[in-house]
Amino acid sequence: MYRKQVRRRRAVLALLIVGSFALLSVTYGQGSDGVQRGVATIFSPIQSVADRALKPARDLVNWFDETFDAKGENAHLHEELEVARKQAVGSQAAIAENAQLRELVKLDRSGAIPSGYAPVTGRVIGRSPTVWFADVTIDVGSGDGVEVEDPVVNGDGLVGRVTAVTGGSARVTLIADHSSAVAAKVVPSGVQGVLKPSVGDPGDLILDFLNSEKPVGRNQSVVTSGWRGQGIESSYPPNLPIGEVTEASLVEQEAQQQVHVRPFADLRELDLVQVLTGGSRG
Amino acid sequence: MILTPNILARIVAIVIAGVILQLTFFSQVALFHVSPDVLPSLVVVLGLFGGTLTGAVCGFSVGFLLDCLLIAPLGGGSLVLLATGYLAGLFRERFEIHSVLVPPLLCMALTFFAELGFGAVELMLGIDAPVSPLVVRDILLKSIFAFFLGWGIYALLRRLLRPALVEEPAAQLRRRRRPRVIRPSRGRRPRVMGA
Repeated sequence: MYRKQVRRRRAVLALLIVGSFALLSVTYGQGSDGVQRGVATIFSPIQSVADRALKPARDLVNWFDETFDAKGENAHLHEELEVARKQAVGSQAAIAENAQLRELVKLDRSGAIPSGYAPVTGRVIGRSPTVWFADVTIDVGSGDGVEVEDPVVNGDGLVGRVTAVTGGSARVTLIADHSSAVAAKVVPSGVQGVLKPSVGDPGDLILDFLNSEKPVGRNQSVVTSGWRGQGIESSYPPNLPIGEVTEASLVEQEAQQQVHVRPFADLRELDLVQVLTGGSRG
Repeated sequence: MILTPNILARIVAIVIAGVILQLTFFSQVALFHVSPDVLPSLVVVLGLFGGTLTGAVCGFSVGFLLDCLLIAPLGGGSLVLLATGYLAGLFRERFEIHSVLVPPLLCMALTFFAELGFGAVELMLGIDAPVSPLVVRDILLKSIFAFFLGWGIYALLRRLLRPALVEEPAAQLRRRRRPRVIRPSRGRRPRVMGA
């Protein structure tokens, strides 16, 4: 009897382990499948309600954290700073862009959100609990016009891009996720590179593969470069503010061709985001 | 643990509520810049109450639901939490829980294990970016949070699953078995009961 129980237990365990590996190998890199879509569709309204209901409690806990950390900022000054920052980044990008190039890529204006995109506002209803992934789930999906690869921003700047969509929800892979790579440029110098995360530290991004002799200085802004050519193009439109350079030692620039960037958006505390749907892709 | 349909329904409800609470609350609050991860502790406590099989099945279910709701690749979370639940169940089957500190300490240790496990799965699938040393701090803080969360979860789940629990905690048993003196009736020697 006992042996039979042990055998049954081992069989179930083996089945679960094999099942896990099978799921992993079948679904990795495939986006969402039918089962996942079904489960997410059933639970996303519950998640949405729970998210709204728990917001006061969340805010309270976060308030303690922010107070402890002396992070509390005057809301009015914060708003003013954001407006000024956007204006500064927008104008720097505009100055830096050559009019002829703009004509070539048919950009008719530069700014925080490029023309041709329809922003869809969504709320973060779920977040990956481990330090290894930087994904959030939002409460808008294909029913709202959201598609895979749509860029996602919030009031501060670029947040990430949509990597999976169901009818009523979507997964946003943040720019701090290890799988993220954003083509970016420093303004006003125009130095270009690829912005990659430092896993586990969403406040530190690394602008890598700097392809310029020009040195990059601290406090310079970094925006999406939004390159296109030979049939391929960046997922992100040009000139979306990303962050500012925090560390730019000449040694690091020369030896490793990289500088450190702090994102404008607080990737740990996301609430409302905008998905830039449409655009010129596809 | 005696698994009746009623208890199974309770466990399913606990798993769903745990995952939704994690995604909508715990993952979105920060203490010292780190979000607590309640799911390994939940799986550990279920494993402690139910043994290896219950722990493993609950771990698999929690991971599967988590991956589904995050619209993430399936299997990674299931694999790690399955191992976590199994280890908790194994502890329960091999050792007696002598102290009230054991469940929270186990939650802490196995949360540390689970976070490393998530990292191992990611490394297996390929991490394309440098790993910050802050990951270590985050994992350690999550483990410390799990110590305190594990305390509460253990007490809550013991209450919710009480009808199914076969064994009472050792401390309670000791309390019950503590020798007590019955007042002697006239002319009789004191009698010690329960020794």
